Amino acid sequence: MENKIIYVRDTGLVSPDRTKDVHTLLLNGLRDRGMQASVQAVRVSDIGVYNQGVVIKVLPDVTYFNVKDEDIGRILDAIKQDKTISELASRREPKQLRVVLRNCGVIDPESIEEYIAHDGYQAIKKVLFEFKTPDKTIDEMKKSGLRGRGGAGFPTWMKWIFAKQVASDQKYVICNGDEGDPGAYMDRSVLEGDPHSVVEGMMIAGFSIGATKGYFYIRAEYPLAVERVQKAIDQCYEAGLLGNNVLGSGFNFDLEVRLGAGAFVCGEETALIASIEGRRGTPHPRPPYPSVKGLWDKPTVINNVETLANVPYIILKGGDEFAKVGTQTSKGTKVFALTGKVKNSGLVEVPMGTSIREIVFDIGGGILNNKNIKAVQSGGPSGGVIPKDYIDTPVDYENLQKLGSIMGSGGMIVMDEDDCMVDIACFYQRFCYDESCGKCSPCRIGTTQMLNTLCKITEGLGELSDLDNLRRIAQAMQRAALCGLGQTAPNPVISTLRYYEDEYKAHIIDKKCPSKKCRNLLTYKVISEKCKKCGLCLKNCEAKAITGNKDDGYIIDMNKCIRCGRCFEVCKFKAVSKE
Amino acid sequence: MNKLTKESLDNIAKQSRKEEKNWIKVGMSSCGIAAGADEVLKVLIEEAKKRNIQVNIKKCGCVGMCSVEPLVEVNVEGMPRVTYGRVNKDVAIQILEDHIHNHRLVNDHIYDIQVKK
Repeated sequence: MENKIIYVRDTGLVSPDRTKDVHTLLLNGLRDRGMQASVQAVRVSDIGVYNQGVVIKVLPDVTYFNVKDEDIGRILDAIKQDKTISELASRREPKQLRVVLRNCGVIDPESIEEYIAHDGYQAIKKVLFEFKTPDKTIDEMKKSGLRGRGGAGFPTWMKWIFAKQVASDQKYVICNGDEGDPGAYMDRSVLEGDPHSVVEGMMIAGFSIGATKGYFYIRAEYPLAVERVQKAIDQCYEAGLLGNNVLGSGFNFDLEVRLGAGAFVCGEETALIASIEGRRGTPHPRPPYPSVKGLWDKPTVINNVETLANVPYIILKGGDEFAKVGTQTSKGTKVFALTGKVKNSGLVEVPMGTSIREIVFDIGGGILNNKNIKAVQSGGPSGGVIPKDYIDTPVDYENLQKLGSIMGSGGMIVMDEDDCMVDIACFYQRFCYDESCGKCSPCRIGTTQMLNTLCKITEGLGELSDLDNLRRIAQAMQRAALCGLGQTAPNPVISTLRYYEDEYKAHIIDKKCPSKKCRNLLTYKVISEKCKKCGLCLKNCEAKAITGNKDDGYIIDMNKCIRCGRCFEVCKFKAVSKE
Repeated sequence: MNKLTKESLDNIAKQSRKEEKNWIKVGMSSCGIAAGADEVLKVLIEEAKKRNIQVNIKKCGCVGMCSVEPLVEVNVEGMPRVTYGRVNKDVAIQILEDHIHNHRLVNDHIYDIQVKK
């Protein structure tokens, strides 16, 4: 029998973790059978499945879920005889599919040779020497059905064809790497992990629309991404992949990096163009769209990092192959930055149409500290919340829109029962208020007024008429604001109002925060029946709001209390109540 | 690097595709570096030299499991490809001694195992 590996992990939610016990049982079982030299039993920290009890995997492909201690002997016997116990074994298809992240974590991002070894620059070669015409390239993009991954989901091939149709002596391609949504960092990871694929995507876009010049617009807060993209560009120039006569084909293409100074609004395409031109980064009305009149008034295609990283794959494998994955209207995969109250935070790439439940529970491993999920926020400050009742919805552009959220760039923030929806709305509104450029009044005044109203509600000073006011301001902003930032800034408020109006009302009518998050609405009280009169709360009270002694017990004076929650945390007898 | 042509592009691809048998990759994106991947890379290089272990130690981008950075992927001939997470100095040395030298996997730090096809 050859050298085998089995690995084990307790994936159950109930503590204590039994991984070590089962591992010991396995080691004993192996020794009893004289197999310890040929079989390695290993404790792992993640086995790719969650909430399935003790899981044992036997390489290469047998997995046993919910293994009972008494089954271990049988499993080891089966291994000895090179057999599988079919009634215990389960098979599970991997949920993730790597297209955009195909090279992230696989190749050295600073080595052009490694990228070439992984089919790098084969797509541009195919475009230049096989397709030879932009039409064929755009046709392939059309077949793929790729839609912009930056937020709105506009078909990429259409953007390209608009820019191609305009006659002009000079055209531009811009890569939008100004990723600013709180909690989203997919673009950073792609630029840091696989910069060459984005460079290649830009070359293909340039060839398709007839552009000879491209710009990377990357926020200055991503120094490593900037460094690696610059290195990739330098290597390409050296290798003759950029500059004049790319690969001897006669096609010329130049690339340059421009840094964004960190304004959220510069992710909006007209503001981004202004910023590259050296003007103040504020948007201007569309039309004309950038594909007709963009950078320096020339036709310009602006694509998101993730969109461009998809392009070489589509060209190489064919649009039809790409379109096999996904839903009717949304093709391919999407990278999400899964963050918040989830066990495995990180990047996940799944086919479009995967449900939020699969993303959060099967890949993300469920909610931290075994709490219950309350909602998932998607799309950042332009998106909304998706309550737990809807987490079985397959994720695509249309479905998220129906639920009052958007795909956005792909941030996905998981919230549990402890998160207050009014507080969340307030957080995003503050973000938009800070980032509003101030050029148009609906956004400048709207975000300020909405933020003031939301703050008032979280402080317990809200009135019922505030809810109508919020709705009215939101509507005005959606209709009248100049750019995407202002038009979508009310979305978090609208969506929380839609699903959690009773939480708003609890803040306004009962002056209570059901999630116990809004500080000003909390009351701390010593429960005298439970109190052991130890005095720990008094010692820890910074505001000197607690009075009393070891004989009479303690009282909290809510007029002096600053609601820091220290007494609640330090009390070992749960004798301080927080309501 | 010389200027590439259509043909030399394919040649490089072919040449570089010959896979090395033993390698270690350290995830060196912002998330990894913030969690201490710099130090891990340094320790791996130094200790491998000290122990005269023949292994190619490389950098790569983020594979996605940001919550368990620093991530170290190890490939040894005749063994499955293993991704170790939450690697610190001690685990790095264990990886060199146990996994690479003795072909025994390191307990409690494995986050992914891939079987080579």
